[in-house]
Amino acid sequence: MALAFRNMLRTAARRMQVRGYADAPKGDEMALTFAAGNKVFFNKQVVKQIDVPSFSGSFGILPKHVPTLAVLRPGVVTVVENDGKQTKIFVSSGTITVNDDSSVQVLAEEAHPLESLDRSAAQEALSKAQSELNSAANERAKAEALIAVEVAEEVLKAASA
Amino acid sequence: MSAWRQAGLSYINYSNIAAKVLRRSLKPEFRSEALKRDESHVRITPWANGRPARKYI
Repeated sequence: MALAFRNMLRTAARRMQVRGYADAPKGDEMALTFAAGNKVFFNKQVVKQIDVPSFSGSFGILPKHVPTLAVLRPGVVTVVENDGKQTKIFVSSGTITVNDDSSVQVLAEEAHPLESLDRSAAQEALSKAQSELNSAANERAKAEALIAVEVAEEVLKAASA
Repeated sequence: MSAWRQAGLSYINYSNIAAKVLRRSLKPEFRSEALKRDESHVRITPWANGRPARKYI
């Protein structure tokens, strides 16, 4: 009798421990705030999907995503609005926050829509960065030039697409 | 660990460089406005006994 009772308690306890990553958020809407030093692109607007490039890999966000913090890497953020319209914005760097209530904040240092990028200017920035890399005197200057090369290549890729 | 981290740079440094490169890669009509954000100026005035001790540093 006592054994059966103990088993019952154990099963109940086990059942109570089961828990998902996030306690279920209310509704399945995702409010996006997307801002940069130069412009606010979205302000608590409900959207369908967001794809972001980050140092922990590129990932897509849908409503009820696991709460996440990530650091942005230079690249294209794609926002799919509720009517299916896609907006592609190039971000230099910044942070992405996915909250428990499904709201998302993308904060970038500098962000511009793909249409504002200039292929030849990006090419120029790339060659400038490459020459800086070749003439880098110390470890720090070399690392700085390497970042510039990486970013310029990414801009060029996005501007050519 | 990434090369820049090893060289003693922080993500703030990384972010600054990335933003700078992006501003240079814009179409000419947006570039001049964006390049203004490249520089930031700080003016410091030391105060002593309730009045500015020197103009600024």
